[in-house]
Amino acid sequence: MITEKGVWNRLRSRLLFTGPTLFAFLTVMIVPFFYGIYLTFTNWDGISTTHTLVGFKNYGAVFKDTEFWKSFGLTLKYVLFTVILINVIAFLLAYVLTKGLKGQSFFRAGFFLPNLVGGIVLGFIWQFIFNNVVVYLGQKAAIPLLSASWLSDPDKAFWSLVIVTVWQYAGYMMVIYVAGLMGVPNDILEAASIDGANGWTKMRKMILPLMVPSFIVCIFLSLQRGFMVYDVNVALTQGGPFKSTELVSMHVYEKAFLARDYGLGQAEAFVLFLLVAGITLLQVYFSKKMEVDA
Amino acid sequence: MKRFKGIQLLVLSLLVVMIVSACGNSASSSNQGSSEGSNSGKDVKITLLNSKGEIQQQLEEAAKAFHEDNPNITLEVQAVPNGGSPFERASALYAAGNPPTMIMLDTGDVEKFKDRILDLSGEKWNQDAVANATDFTTFEGKNYAFPFAIEGYGFIYNKAVVDKAVGGNFDPSTIKTTNDLENLFKQIEASGKKALVISPMDWSLGAHYLPLAYAGQNKDMAEVNKFIDALKAGQVDLASNKVFNGLMDTFDVMMKHNIDSASPLSGQYERGAELLGKGEVGIWFMGNWAWPQISGYDTANKQYGFLPVPISNNPDDYGNQEISSAVSKRIVIDKEKSTPEQQAAAKKFLNWLVYEQKGQDFLVNKMNIIPAFKNITLPAADPLGKSIQDYIAKGKSEQSMSLLPADHWKQVGASMQKYLAKASDRATLAKEIQDYWKNVK
Repeated sequence: MITEKGVWNRLRSRLLFTGPTLFAFLTVMIVPFFYGIYLTFTNWDGISTTHTLVGFKNYGAVFKDTEFWKSFGLTLKYVLFTVILINVIAFLLAYVLTKGLKGQSFFRAGFFLPNLVGGIVLGFIWQFIFNNVVVYLGQKAAIPLLSASWLSDPDKAFWSLVIVTVWQYAGYMMVIYVAGLMGVPNDILEAASIDGANGWTKMRKMILPLMVPSFIVCIFLSLQRGFMVYDVNVALTQGGPFKSTELVSMHVYEKAFLARDYGLGQAEAFVLFLLVAGITLLQVYFSKKMEVDA
Repeated sequence: MKRFKGIQLLVLSLLVVMIVSACGNSASSSNQGSSEGSNSGKDVKITLLNSKGEIQQQLEEAAKAFHEDNPNITLEVQAVPNGGSPFERASALYAAGNPPTMIMLDTGDVEKFKDRILDLSGEKWNQDAVANATDFTTFEGKNYAFPFAIEGYGFIYNKAVVDKAVGGNFDPSTIKTTNDLENLFKQIEASGKKALVISPMDWSLGAHYLPLAYAGQNKDMAEVNKFIDALKAGQVDLASNKVFNGLMDTFDVMMKHNIDSASPLSGQYERGAELLGKGEVGIWFMGNWAWPQISGYDTANKQYGFLPVPISNNPDDYGNQEISSAVSKRIVIDKEKSTPEQQAAAKKFLNWLVYEQKGQDFLVNKMNIIPAFKNITLPAADPLGKSIQDYIAKGKSEQSMSLLPADHWKQVGASMQKYLAKASDRATLAKEIQDYWKNVK
């Protein structure tokens, strides 16, 4: 096909293979994206059949919306803790489960399982656990920390969110780390053992550097999911108690659909997109520099 | 090479044909829908987006019964997802180009949908609706919505518990002031039960409890609207407002006697119904829609009723003896995507509810709705509905705030939760509410 001559010929065969995907991508990703940007310049309320252009007024309002920046700050805190905890726990799980433990495939499957449950269902399950099961056990065992629902206290509700997110994604990241660990060549580890390196030295000098690509992928995924989280947030805490756990996606959604200020909500979504894109690109750029060859 | 190009062209043209025919199909199928309706033997399928989750099952049964009466109409009842508002769901469905035929909206939302829904002024039930039922949904002289239910709220009491507490037959009209209420709480506690449960949901606190402070400002709705306008303009100082302070004084008393005072935000809706039904508390702040849940735990032989929320210690102040009620849910019919046949079928369903015995039975006895129609003479089937009807019949009702901004319940509800959890004081609460009104669109 490469031998085909002429722009038209080449274009035609490209279109044959990429056309359908390209068409889908354009219609469901690109067009809505730009239409969304257009809507940020309007005062549409989400339902009326007419709307007027208001220029950059919505963007001005984004910067004046203190609630938005507060929930963005909370989201940063949430992302920080979830990214660290997910990756540390996932790596440890992966490390233990590649040691040749008895029944390790069973454990791998078990830890991966939470990821197969949808966020909404998972949120409701954990809501029941935090509101009823934990409280019941706490009262029976007279542990003051557990005898009132965690979801009714702003700080504990935040940590409940972190715990559920870590529980949900640690297994998924574990699978990526397992693959990474299996890819570390055995011969160099053996050579290191012969040279007298102990377990910690091997970990620090060989395994970790060789696993950098896995770390990049996992941190990228957990970063991006952390910023965009909505389902667990809405099902577990509904942003409560008194809006103290309202993460940024939820705030944007409420601006657009509950406060009926679609233009402002969309503008906030776009600002959020720029911020998240910036952060994740920086992360990928800097961690790429840490990659090494075996 | 030559042959390959031939195949390429063939595939490309196939693709084009597929796309074109896919588009063509949907067009022709919608045409089909309209032509089907004209020879009326064919089936019409209509949908209803239900935003009263507690009657979902009963509505589905009503849909089945309606289908038996009208075999060519199939009604499908969709539910608004848990925690979502009907507006959110309906606007999402409109955005997706797939709106339901009928939508059950909150009163304040109807105007937003004005351009997309059918003018229902010509329907017969307009003449039979109770006074003022369609005022809020009439724009430029046209009524756009079907008033579905009258709902009222206040303190629900469990008669078995309060009878025991007062030592005899409890008379709800003896509770006229905040002090009376506190005495009742103390009497209940002295009888070995807990006084009341405050359900901490933002919608209950933000859409029902706090708006009593607006509605109680004046008997005249026009004055209340002026008060709201003044709030928007930032000219109201709530901290020195008598009604607001009286209402919050009552709230302080409630907080003191709340069964969940150790962890005031952990309770959920079902817990309130359970505690009240089982008689573990005497009183619960909620509305007549809670009957299906309470009856599941009923231990008081269906003896329940309402107490108004007192806002002062002067028995004659407006609001101390009046129960808050209003037409709260409206059904509208889509005109954008629904075929004329679907619209006719939807109208038929609404008429079935109002004029057919079966429909009335479903409305009143199965769904426990207080209908907003004079021609329905069936008495409310449940004690809570009866109690509300009594108050309305005696003229002791206060118009609930139906036209609050859409996010009022969430924002102000959060401020109320903060107050309930003692994470803020009354001055902060007043300021947060004032700030909300100043910034609202």
